[in-house]
Amino acid sequence: MAYEWVEHTAEVELLIEAGSEEQVFADALTAVGELLDDGMGAHDADVAYDVTLTAPDRAALLAAWMDELVYRAEVDGLLPEAVERIELADDGLSAAVRARRGEPRPFVKAVTYHRLAFEPTADGWQATVVLDV
Amino acid sequence: MSESDVKHGLTRIDDTCWEIPAEARADMRVPARVFADAELLDEIGGDLSLEQIQNVATLPGVYGAALAMPDIHQGYGFPVGGVAATVAPDGVISPGGVGYDINCGVRLLALPVTVEELGRRVEPLVSEIARRVPVGTGRSGGLKLDGRALDRVMTHGPRILAAEHGIGTPEDVERTESRGCMEGADPAAVSDRARSRGAGQLGTLGSGNHFLEVQRVGAVLRSEAADAYGLSEGQVTVLIHSGSRGLGHQVCTDYVRWMDSALARHRIKLPDRQLACAPLSSPEGRAYMSAMAAAANFAWANRATLAHRVREAIRKVLGRDIAERTRQVYDVAHNIAKLEEHGGRTLCVHRKGATRAFPPGSPDIPPAYRRVGQPVFIPGSMGTSSWVLAGQPGAMERSFGSACHGAGRRLSRAAAKRRVKGDELRRELEARGIVVRAPSNVGLAEEAPIAYKDVDRVVRVVERAGLAARVAELLPIGVVKG
Repeated sequence: MAYEWVEHTAEVELLIEAGSEEQVFADALTAVGELLDDGMGAHDADVAYDVTLTAPDRAALLAAWMDELVYRAEVDGLLPEAVERIELADDGLSAAVRARRGEPRPFVKAVTYHRLAFEPTADGWQATVVLDV
Repeated sequence: MSESDVKHGLTRIDDTCWEIPAEARADMRVPARVFADAELLDEIGGDLSLEQIQNVATLPGVYGAALAMPDIHQGYGFPVGGVAATVAPDGVISPGGVGYDINCGVRLLALPVTVEELGRRVEPLVSEIARRVPVGTGRSGGLKLDGRALDRVMTHGPRILAAEHGIGTPEDVERTESRGCMEGADPAAVSDRARSRGAGQLGTLGSGNHFLEVQRVGAVLRSEAADAYGLSEGQVTVLIHSGSRGLGHQVCTDYVRWMDSALARHRIKLPDRQLACAPLSSPEGRAYMSAMAAAANFAWANRATLAHRVREAIRKVLGRDIAERTRQVYDVAHNIAKLEEHGGRTLCVHRKGATRAFPPGSPDIPPAYRRVGQPVFIPGSMGTSSWVLAGQPGAMERSFGSACHGAGRRLSRAAAKRRVKGDELRRELEARGIVVRAPSNVGLAEEAPIAYKDVDRVVRVVERAGLAARVAELLPIGVVKG
């Protein structure tokens, strides 16, 4: 896990550094899970759901991915726990998410495009996402 | 010009207004202006607010100046506390200039009792309200509407709830900005995903800085306006701060994405992707206005349902007579874009964390208030004063009929938590006689008064700038937080 929360006056800014693009998406899931955690701990009845998304670029795809995780938490009460499978294509992704049913904290309103970035670094990839909370 | 008249790259142009000229950046089309005093400006200069308001000044069709209210702080895209007007029909509409919580706003109820008459029933009243108003999870406890019923709420707002569900009264609807119904709302412009988020959330408070506060009226500074609003010293009020919940959040998400993908086609270049926008006359612009209006009407219906639940709590604790004589003073939006006439032009006024503040004589405010100006509600931070103001002529001359919307954050949530422990804050508030009902000490700490600017200073600047005048102070006696 290589993500951190950056100071922002009103919102929540997430910075991810990872060795691969797939790991950026996995770290983003862990970060969303941390924000939405209901404090109920591990649950026996894990569930999995599939995600298929398209977006014009990697940064927008990362925003769409996090938005999907927030949506499934808000509507279905599914707290994301891990990426079981993820396949990235030029214009989208296909993935399976392992989650547990719970009472997700309704903390995240939306995933914004403000300062949204997904860029290569010398060691891998770096992404920035600001969440409206 | 003295040295004190230049701060953070802004030049003082009068007592309360500072300006960054349009020439400061090659992409700015108009100046950026900030209403503040020197102390507030120092706080504003501490984050990215000023860069963000300059970014707003680059929007195609922006008119006059991009404006910042004294409660401005760093947001996403637009700063919170930002106002921008674009010229219809070819200027742009920006969903990020409204925000994810479309028609987040404030409703004030006035009870026909004083705090002395309430006596020891404060704690039972706050507890009963907390029991009836769902907070925390967004998935349960709301009035469940779907299909056609949800369409009718999005099209007509709280008027339908009053007529068909016994929620609220026709008088409440009259005392709501835009009578709780923006024209042009089209549920077909709202995605299934947005509908599914909003379907069970009507009458839920939400989290973050949303709250419900039981208050007493403190000092009355303008008796004529206070009389018109039905407020007097010692009276009990309830202030409700919430918005369009998941439905509005998703509408904004959907349209930021769509407009982002259409920027090249409209030949729009932006300094921040979150400012994604489209001409008002374009298919994207027209569809967003229809969807935003639907979400705004949903938000007014949400606050109407919350007010209904408050009245039910009042009925149980204080009796039917008190509940039936509990009046809605007004309901104002502070995240919205509206087509309005200013200086003979039709402008799309974006208010992102700013409140409409129309002056005396405006035909767009209830007849009972037309002599004194539109009520403007400025919630303070938890445990501090809130304010009732009245819109003034200066707002039409200087800020497209707008004033501030709150105290404005000055510390991040993490910084607030480092300085304040939630359990200590809870004890401190209770020691001051404020009843607190909040599920999480962490959530309390994030919204601690230290995280916000001084609301009294903010409203004094608004008054000195001539945007709105102070009418009455509201002091907290009970807080219910999401």
